[in-house]
Amino acid sequence: MRKKTKAIQGRSIYGTIRILILVVILGIVGLLLLASMLGGRFGTPHQLTLDFIGPMQSAVTRSLSGIVSLKDDYIALWNVRAENKRLQALVDKYLKELGEYREGYSTNLHLEELLAFKDKLSFQPLAARVVGKEPAYWYQTIVVDRGRKDDVMEGMIVLAPSGVVGQIIHTADHYSKVLLANAPSSAIDAMIQKNRTRGILKGAGEHGYVLEYVLKNADVEEGDYIVTAGIGGVFPAGIPLGRVSKIHQKKRGMFQEIEVQPSVDFQKLEFVFIDPTDRRKILDSANLSPGR
Amino acid sequence: MLFLSFWLLGIVLIVLQTTLMQSLPLWLGRPDFLFILVTFIAYRFAWVPGIVLVFTLGWVMDVLVGLYLGFYPLMCLFTFAALKFLTNKSPIKESTYQIPLVGLSYFLVQIILYCVYSLALPEELPEWSWGITLQRTALQVAAAIPLILLCSSLYDFLLKHRLRTKPARRRPRKPM
Repeated sequence: MRKKTKAIQGRSIYGTIRILILVVILGIVGLLLLASMLGGRFGTPHQLTLDFIGPMQSAVTRSLSGIVSLKDDYIALWNVRAENKRLQALVDKYLKELGEYREGYSTNLHLEELLAFKDKLSFQPLAARVVGKEPAYWYQTIVVDRGRKDDVMEGMIVLAPSGVVGQIIHTADHYSKVLLANAPSSAIDAMIQKNRTRGILKGAGEHGYVLEYVLKNADVEEGDYIVTAGIGGVFPAGIPLGRVSKIHQKKRGMFQEIEVQPSVDFQKLEFVFIDPTDRRKILDSANLSPGR
Repeated sequence: MLFLSFWLLGIVLIVLQTTLMQSLPLWLGRPDFLFILVTFIAYRFAWVPGIVLVFTLGWVMDVLVGLYLGFYPLMCLFTFAALKFLTNKSPIKESTYQIPLVGLSYFLVQIILYCVYSLALPEELPEWSWGITLQRTALQVAAAIPLILLCSSLYDFLLKHRLRTKPARRRPRKPM
């Protein structure tokens, strides 16, 4: 009975304390609220609270801005990558176009040169496109897209703006084979342009030509122009053949050997002109054999 | 420990609410985490620690964002007291009702705030929109689901921890 009474007393004391605490807390809260609301002043407790929370906000904001910046950088990197890909594609496209334009420009220049040459010629040349090449040492031939149907005949000479290309050796209806002037089997009557010294220009394949039968005392220097002599009736006189590149003075014999660099780049031939004059007929009528 | 943990959680939520949530896109919405925590405190905490928690957290929020000082803690205390009275010894306290009750209380508080504003500061009264209020309430309910789950888990964990650390009282053996 006593224990029960004690327990009841204990509970009531505990309850009273709790109520007291509640009242005190409510009082403090009320006072603070009143002070805040009625005073309206940002007092020391407010300042302390702000100073307490401020660093936390600052830390979170800084971390957040760091993350956002990282994200932005990452996205920017993606954009840069995409932009880079796009620009690379553009560069590729423009480079391709530039290549085409360069080629077009180059072709235009070449055709202009050919046209100028064609206009300059005394005869009406037949333009032909080089459709095949056989640059092997022993043969040195090319195939052009003009044949018998175009009145092309064997023996006709083939020229380029820069000089002699060769001579037609075989013809078909639509195509013809040209023996290049630098073929080892080719020999052209030539002369040194500056002093008209004559010689025989023989083909030396990839090495160009060799001018033979020029006397040792002849005045010849590297860089001198070699042109056709016009003897023999195959090539008219004065067509460029090349320039002296090296002179070999032999100990024995009367002649010197002269290396000649062809004026025509046989590797880069695209278009040539065929002189339609039937020189064989002329030669036959004059009882002369071809000078090759 | 329980009190301190929830106080710290409240501070973290306030900091997040005033920093992280503000930098998120506007269409995501900005739920009031502190309000949700206040409702949870009303469900689970006793009067004395509850009042202290709610007041101090409301105070901090008030200092950080309040225009008229004292208004926010008062609102928090009012919400706490109302929910405490409503849920005390009532089945509404059960977890099934907790989340809808967050929405309901938030909605009512918005209306009450509007009424208070219209009486106290009619010149600063924002335009009332049922659509926006309902939208905010829906967002509050959506945000309350994970937050109340988190708070419940933390509360249960801390309670178990406290029970484990308390030494069990042994009854003295009766002499045979």
